[in-house]
Amino acid sequence: MTEGRGYQKLKAQTSLHDVLEVATEFERTARDFYAALAPKVSKQIRYLVEELAEEEQRHFDLFTELRARPDLEDSVEQMVETPASDRRFSDCIHLPELGDKPDDQAVLQYALGREHAAMEQYTSLADSTPAGPIRDLFRYLADEETQHKNELEKRYYEIVHSGGV
Amino acid sequence: MSVRDLLSPFTAWKNLFREPVSIKDPFNREASERYRGFHKNDIEKCIGCGTCEAICQNGAIDMLPVEGVDNVKTQPGDSGLRPRIDYGRCCWCALCVDVCMTGSLTMSNEYKWVESDPDKFRFTPGVDKKHWDEYHDGYRRPDGHRLNAPERIEMPELAPRERIDSFVEIVGGYSVEQARLEADRCVTCGICVATCPTHMPIPDYIAAVRDGDYEHGLKLLYESNPFSQVCGKVCTRRCETTCAASHEGDPIAIRWLKRHITEQVPYERYRDIIGSPLPATGKKIAIIGAGPAGMTAAFDLARKGHSVTVYEAQSHAGGMTRYGIPEYRLPYETIQRDIDLITSMGVQMHYNTRVGTDISMQQLQQDNDAVVLTIGLWLGRGTRIPGSDHPNVFKAVDLLHRITEGEDIQAPKSMVVIGGGNVAMDIARSMARLQKQQHGEIDITLTALEDKAHFLADPVEIKESIEEEINIIDSRGPQECMTDDQNNLVGLRTWKVLSIFDDQGRFAPTYDEHDEQVHQGEWVVEAIGQMSDVSLLGEELTEKLEWNRGRIQVDDAGRTSEPWLWAAGDCVKGPDVVSAVATGHKVAASIEVEFAQQETGA
Repeated sequence: MTEGRGYQKLKAQTSLHDVLEVATEFERTARDFYAALAPKVSKQIRYLVEELAEEEQRHFDLFTELRARPDLEDSVEQMVETPASDRRFSDCIHLPELGDKPDDQAVLQYALGREHAAMEQYTSLADSTPAGPIRDLFRYLADEETQHKNELEKRYYEIVHSGGV
Repeated sequence: MSVRDLLSPFTAWKNLFREPVSIKDPFNREASERYRGFHKNDIEKCIGCGTCEAICQNGAIDMLPVEGVDNVKTQPGDSGLRPRIDYGRCCWCALCVDVCMTGSLTMSNEYKWVESDPDKFRFTPGVDKKHWDEYHDGYRRPDGHRLNAPERIEMPELAPRERIDSFVEIVGGYSVEQARLEADRCVTCGICVATCPTHMPIPDYIAAVRDGDYEHGLKLLYESNPFSQVCGKVCTRRCETTCAASHEGDPIAIRWLKRHITEQVPYERYRDIIGSPLPATGKKIAIIGAGPAGMTAAFDLARKGHSVTVYEAQSHAGGMTRYGIPEYRLPYETIQRDIDLITSMGVQMHYNTRVGTDISMQQLQQDNDAVVLTIGLWLGRGTRIPGSDHPNVFKAVDLLHRITEGEDIQAPKSMVVIGGGNVAMDIARSMARLQKQQHGEIDITLTALEDKAHFLADPVEIKESIEEEINIIDSRGPQECMTDDQNNLVGLRTWKVLSIFDDQGRFAPTYDEHDEQVHQGEWVVEAIGQMSDVSLLGEELTEKLEWNRGRIQVDDAGRTSEPWLWAAGDCVKGPDVVSAVATGHKVAASIEVEFAQQETGA
């Protein structure tokens, strides 16, 4: 993200175009991050990082398709209210240090943090947008992120609270 | 001829006005309410234990597999067999009904059945549908009428006040009389054998208790489990969960009967009863880790005449059975007796030797014909909630290890344990003993995500923990390890857990953030999960190996993707002593097959 756009995100209002662009960028950076991390982590947990990269790729494709939808073309310049969660969401795009050799728990905690920020962002956008296709879109995005977060939580508990001990 | 003689024939006329005594249509006469007529079997309730077959004095019952019938399949606790009855032999004595362990077998009050084909009178009740299946009347075992005692013989144990200030073993063991009474309850169905991971010949060794032939019993035990003394005390006893007796009473105390056998035979006799190893083959095997899996593999392979060397990072063998299970449940002496028996087969032990540091995997590969990895789950998982990096937040496995090592641990006056499994109970109860010894009173709170009904711990552990004044608070999700202004740990903040599983049965806790509690504690101990320390493999081997979602991938025989390396025990199967024993047997058998193939190939 450029500095100029980062400033834009702090404004009271932003366009749907920008929201979708940030959303797509959010998924792309995550995908690239996990893809770059995969060869660095132990093979024991590489499956986890590779799965995350694949999941982010699926979301990236989905958001790219959304941006290209003809029925949204007229709405992309429509202004929507910038939610309170925006800063936290944007911060996630500037990926924090996870270290070179994170373990599976650290990777999952990191992924959960990202998904949670995204979920909050889209939920806030939906809440502050009048009823209509744009709000439905935000709800859809929020649901997508919520489902992904829930799935990651289950994986987290299965891995960390493992062993039946 | 008198007048009376003339009139008497006419007295019969009075019967014209009476109800007939004979039955006009005898073929439609209903039998009495509790008549022992044709058999019925509730096939969903039936577990195919074959007790009916065993008791039948006429050999009229055969247990046969039934296929294509809904809800009947071979699974834990169900043989998949169902009784077929031959009415050419049956005498309708109803012993089969009286002994039925689940109450599934009953009799209708139907007694008429006409067929031209005599083979039709051999049928499988419940599977071969009959019109009397729906009959309500007939014979069923009367309430309270049992051929075998439903309640198990109570095991003598130390009372809580007698045990709480020491690590003395709680369980006392059965007397000969008690053991025989308990063994008498077993119907020898063998349903349990399939459930036991190492398939111990349970009905046979219980029969040995009944017969008082303990040496035969011991031989049976060690043929399938070289950790029989250990398992006689701490086995997870899945066998008991499927015991036929548990359907209408207590399961047979299989674990305690195993223990009883090991206690009745003088230890000096063990070695002679088990027998000596075969002559040396010249084959060499290295085993990494001296826990139940590694030592079982060592036992099997050494008895085959192979040269076995075990490398153990700790100062003693036993793995988690020694360093994870407190002495009040499993005295160290018990473990040592099994270990000594195994090493007496010629197994070489290298203690205090850490593979990866003191000797490399490559070296082991080079020097041996096979290498077995049984490295257990020695690393404790942590919650990583805020504050959990405080120096007074500990992992349960580390603390239990320190207690086993005899370290002088200064117990805090109050403590919180996170976890609902056996390790959580073990550390809570161990620290309770230290608190009692050092402070005279116990202040330990145990919190877990699960509600008590879903705790992973053995119900006996939970019961005994409560008896020992452990304050168990279930359905609490840890949020923060709290500190005061001086950075002293003061407790654990938790939220109420609303549910722990999603609609697909996956672990997915949900919380009520408004229901918050702070549990006071100078220490917090985490007992939420464990993992393997695979650093000994080194980067190169780690890359070469195939993995299965964080665990070393093995085939059905326990062989990894590297043909010279096998893996077994907790690190591939999860934590369980008897499962570790089973996987130890499996890799030993696989290595034996490999050696045989090499011989044939040569």
